[in-house]
This record gives sequence, C-alpha cells and structure tokens, in this order.
Amino acid sequence: MTIINFKLNNDLIEYEIKDHWTLLHLLREEMGLIGTKEGCGNGECGACTVIVDKLAINSCLYLAIDADKKTIETIEGLASTDGKLHPLQQSFVDNGGIQCGFCSPGMIMSSKALLDGNPDATREEIKHALAGNICRCTGYLQIFESVEAAKHTGGAK
Amino acid sequence: MRLPQFDYKGPDTLEKALDLLSTHAQDAKILAGGTDLLVRMKKGLIAPKTIISLKALNELSYIKKDKNTIRIGARTCLADIIASDSVRKEATALSTACERVGAVTIQHFRGTIGGNILQDNRCFHYNQSAFHRSGRQACHKDGGKICYARDESDRCNSTCQSDGATALMALGAKLVLVSKGNERTVALTDFYTTDGIMPFAMEPTELLKEIIIPVEGGKSSYQRLAYRSAIDYPIVCAGVLLKASAKKDTIEDARIVVGAMGRAPLFLAKESSELKGKSFTDTKAFQKAGNGAMNSASTFAVHNVGSTLEYRCATVSEMVFRALQEAVAEASKA
Repeated sequence: MTIINFKLNNDLIEYEIKDHWTLLHLLREEMGLIGTKEGCGNGECGACTVIVDKLAINSCLYLAIDADKKTIETIEGLASTDGKLHPLQQSFVDNGGIQCGFCSPGMIMSSKALLDGNPDATREEIKHALAGNICRCTGYLQIFESVEAAKHTGGAK
Repeated sequence: MRLPQFDYKGPDTLEKALDLLSTHAQDAKILAGGTDLLVRMKKGLIAPKTIISLKALNELSYIKKDKNTIRIGARTCLADIIASDSVRKEATALSTACERVGAVTIQHFRGTIGGNILQDNRCFHYNQSAFHRSGRQACHKDGGKICYARDESDRCNSTCQSDGATALMALGAKLVLVSKGNERTVALTDFYTTDGIMPFAMEPTELLKEIIIPVEGGKSSYQRLAYRSAIDYPIVCAGVLLKASAKKDTIEDARIVVGAMGRAPLFLAKESSELKGKSFTDTKAFQKAGNGAMNSASTFAVHNVGSTLEYRCATVSEMVFRALQEAVAEASKA
C-alpha cells in the first residue's frame, strides 16, 4: 500500500493505493468515476484517455502510483457544477459527434488536450491528435467536425 | 484487465537502479514507458515480482549532439526524439520511425526509445490472452516445445517488430549497457540472439543506458507497412542509410535493414554492398536491391503476424525501394 496525492478535476485527493493498480482501475473501480471507459486495456483504443499534466495519456497503461503529485482531468471534470456542459461536450452533442457514446469520453479528453495546447488546431492536427482513439460506430467525420466547431464556441480555452 | 501484483521500486539515481537490478535480477523487470511490459503482464505472459520503474531517473532522458555522434538516453520519450531537430536532420530514419510508433497518447507521454528497442518479440500465436493460450499446448516462448508459426521448429520464431531498432540498425547505432560496476558498448547488429525467447544478448542484471548514433553525413530514411497508420505494429519495415561520395553523384556506402521479418532486424550485407559505386539516379539498381532484399529476408519469414506470408515477402522489395528513393531525394538535396 502506498499513499499518493494528486489533483483530480480541481480537487486535492489523498488516496491509499496498491502498487499494481492502473490509473484506470483507481478511477473506475475504486473512486467510482466510471465516465472513463475501459476498452481494450492494451493502449490500442483510447477509450480510457485522461489528461495528466495537460497531456492526453492512456490511463489503462499508466500506473496509479505514477499519478503521485500530478494533475489529472477526467470527463467528469468538464461540465460545470450546475450541469452546464463544457463547450466541447456541447459541440459533440450538437454536431452528432456522440453516437453510441462509448468512445466519447476518450475522444473528448484527447480533443481537450489538443485544444488546450493548440486552440487553433487544423483538421490535420485534430486527426493526428485523435489517431489513438477508435470509434467503432466509425463516425469519425462528425467527431472531427465537432472538435472543429468547438474551437469557435469556447472549447479552446 | 487487471495487472498481477508486484512490488514497485522507483529509484531516483542510476546507481540505485543498478543495485536493485543486481539484487532482484531473476524476478524483476524494468519499467520505462510500460506500453509493452504492462500489456504483456495484463495478458499473463509474464508476472515479475518486482518492477523497477525508471520514472524518476531523469538522468537517462537526454539527446546530446557532438561532432561525430548523437547520444540518446534510453529513457528519452519518443516525443522528445520526434521534436529534436538534430535527430531529424542527422538521423532522419529514427525520427520517422518514432513518429510511426503508436499515437500521441503512446509517443508523447509513455513510450521511450529504450523500451522500443527492448520490446519483446511478438508472434500472433503467443501474444494472446491467457484464455486463448490455455486451449492448446504451450509454445517455445511460453515454455513449451512446439512452434505454431513453423512446424517442427526447434526454436521460437517470434518477430522483432520494433520500428526504432530497424531504423537504428540502418544508422549503425551502438548500445551502452550498464550493470553494477560494469559498462560495455555493443553494436546493435551484435545485440540479438538467434532465439526468439530471449532475443537480446544482454544479462538480466544489465540496463540499457544510452544509444550512440554515428553521424557521418549520410542520409537515412525509414518506411513501414502496417494495417493501421496509428497504434499498430509494422508487418514489414525497412531502414536505409546512404552515404554520398565526395562528388555527391554516386553512393559510397549503403546500409539496408529490413525489420518485422525475422527474430531481429535484418542487416542485408550483400544487397548493401552491391549499391556501392552506383549512381544516385540508377533506379534499376534500387529495384535490384529491393528484390535482393526480398529474397534474403524471405528466408527468415514465418507465419506469425496477422498477414499472409506471401504479402509480407512481396512488400519487402517495395519498402526497401521506397526507402532508398527517399534517402536519395534527401542526399541530392544536401
């Protein structure tokens, strides 16, 4: 057992973890934050994408112990407390970027990491940033359009 | 999928890491990025008791350029290599190869160059879930005596699918291996065994510290074929290095390496030396080199990647040919 301290969606958290937990396990199974999904568990599908220190990573291959002293953002942290969606989420809703919805948390977190660092990302840069996220409904076009639209509605802040 | 239990050690100096490694050598594994190791642990292919993480070892993360070499620390992130101007300019093949590994989520934050070189050999009969493998007898790599990829083979025929290693072998790179109180340098071409079970000629107490790339004015390039452009292993890849003669019109020296076909990246000495003295515009010579590479590499190929053998063998010539053309285009620019 090891105690780690990290910042999760603006809350300071101290948690006692086991060495072999992945960050995904900590979030989903222990903390109950089931917005982050487990797809392949092998780093191939991107459903588990979260943002650690401003960079999108696959939480299924990230040990929880390595999250010590890091700042972590998950899909749960995007909407404001009164339930208003983040512009990026709203854009996915408005542009049909959500289909079955399983890949959406990963897609949105990858997009957020991109737009936070590069508010004026081109279509190519969006494609590149989302290359690690698989959508099995295969509606990639709507997803790219959603991210592009979010640039103008405040998603890129 | 859950990871099996292990003890986590996070040494903050190289000395401490080597101490830990010498104590736990038999049942410890080194964790750098984790994109290969953790996946294998999840599938139950290995279950090390101790994990020695290099996360805190920032002293192994650097790219240093001096007159004749580029030195890269083994724990340097792939993203740092992609972003490096000197690597892009002097060792283009490596830069391209790193770009092709995974997607941003793998490159930028997890994958390291040391881990890319030392990723375990793969075989689609072996890299499966524990449930899948429980349905039949264990293969060589799993501790048994059968090879599903090649009938009646007395050894493991798994394939080295590292992008980085193929590019680095073309560049003539050397590896610096350290263990407690010892350090040695080995050429990448001498680093592989003929066996797929333990493909690397290194001791369990040794740690890959540094990669040395000689920079002698050659132009290199890297080509790969994979089903997905992101997050997929190559089914065939090729790295080449061409050095121009003093007059800049003919090839003085060439290195052709084909990856993802054999148990190690294959340095093709015959095809490489045949290019010496050829003109940069001699497309026929490049085609001949590609076909020669296909013939040589095909002898090593077995049916162990999710693609037909015929297709993989046939595409070797094209990969080599394209890599040569790209290197020529670069060389004529310089």
